[in-house]
Amino acid sequence: MATVRKSKGRQKVEMTKMTKESNLQVTFSKRRSGLFKKASELCTLCGAETAIIVFSPGKKVYSFGHPCVESILDRFLMRNPLPNSGSLQLFEAHRTTNVRKLNVQLTQVVNQLEGEKKRGEALTQMWKACKPQCWWAAPIEELSLEQLELLKVSLEDLRRKVARQADELMIEGKNPPAFFPGNSVGTIVPYAEWMAGFDPYSHKYNFGYGGPFL
Amino acid sequence: MTRKKVKLAYITNDSARKATFKKRKKGLMKKVSELSTLCGIDACAILYSPYDSQPEVWPSPLGVQRVLAHFKKMPEMEQSKKMVNQESFLRQRIAKGNEQLKKQRKDNREKEITQVMYQSLTGKGLQNLNIVDLNDLGWMIDQNLKDIHKRIESLNKEAQSQAAAAAAAAAGQLIKTGGKVQEEKPAFDSMDAIQRQQWFVDLVNPNEQMGFAGDDMMLPFGDNNHNALWPNGFFP
Repeated sequence: MATVRKSKGRQKVEMTKMTKESNLQVTFSKRRSGLFKKASELCTLCGAETAIIVFSPGKKVYSFGHPCVESILDRFLMRNPLPNSGSLQLFEAHRTTNVRKLNVQLTQVVNQLEGEKKRGEALTQMWKACKPQCWWAAPIEELSLEQLELLKVSLEDLRRKVARQADELMIEGKNPPAFFPGNSVGTIVPYAEWMAGFDPYSHKYNFGYGGPFL
Repeated sequence: MTRKKVKLAYITNDSARKATFKKRKKGLMKKVSELSTLCGIDACAILYSPYDSQPEVWPSPLGVQRVLAHFKKMPEMEQSKKMVNQESFLRQRIAKGNEQLKKQRKDNREKEITQVMYQSLTGKGLQNLNIVDLNDLGWMIDQNLKDIHKRIESLNKEAQSQAAAAAAAAAGQLIKTGGKVQEEKPAFDSMDAIQRQQWFVDLVNPNEQMGFAGDDMMLPFGDNNHNALWPNGFFP
């Protein structure tokens, strides 16, 4: 089965100035970030200190420094001999702890992102599998007028069912009234009114729902 | 080259640390060089290690001086705008990661709810959905209905103009051949385009009501049998 490649993958790059302006910008952005990452790792792993300065194609200047750009530049230009005071060491130790915590946080986020991407791919696969049997799952542009009219009717019917089901749930008290934003506790808001002002993507996602849809 | 995942912590083993330093230092300098060449930009690197009082530099001591001079000439604000240290750099990457995560979750949720919607259309029950799911589903249904409505309208407009064009061609022939009808010609010419279309369509379908907006959409050639096939209850 052929998979669509999202990017070309690892390829050997010729070491000469890039010709395409758009590629150059992207390359700069990616490589600058990667460079700073490598520098940061070197400092953490080996206790090194560094400053890196790069000018962007757009004449902006990016710099990375550990412990900080200024102190390294001062040291290099011999304005400050190597500092080694006790308080500075304490300060550095504190910063190192922060960095460690941040690294843990970053790893978490990266892992979560990876997980969600995989989930997205799985969902797309499911959709593709169901498409041949479900004509209504095709993009709207591919549907005939008759199909569109039929689909419209079906969706309007489904919408009513959804509203009914939601009302039932609210009456059954399965969801506490405190859930509704901006409403006083205990008030039950008519579903249509509530739904009118609700932005589904501004709340925290409920991933705990059971059922066969996962 | 090892592909083992390295723990991001100070390497306590002295020899391992020194070996790592040598390798990574070389790699870092190579990366700076590549960045400079590929993008045609100025850059410099200064690296201090516990192994040497003198720093390692790229491209050269003189090259570094040159870049530093350029750097220092810039206004303070420009210098510090994109300046980072380990902490701030990590925070940036975390922020970006969270952004991407949020977007990916949103996309996944949309895909998921769309699936739910399609499956519900086959009659699958809504009992397993909680209030949040139902709300999202309702929203998705509304979005789809909006798009379908737009599409139906545009298809009907197309059919309208095609019909008018066809009728125009037919009537044009009529005017040329029939003597009586020739008197109509100057009147016809003075109408504007829309009136003309309307006039032709009415000519072909004298009893049809022309509604372009809302749910009273009908195809111009009396294809009304359409609507009789399924319930019409919500057409006002």
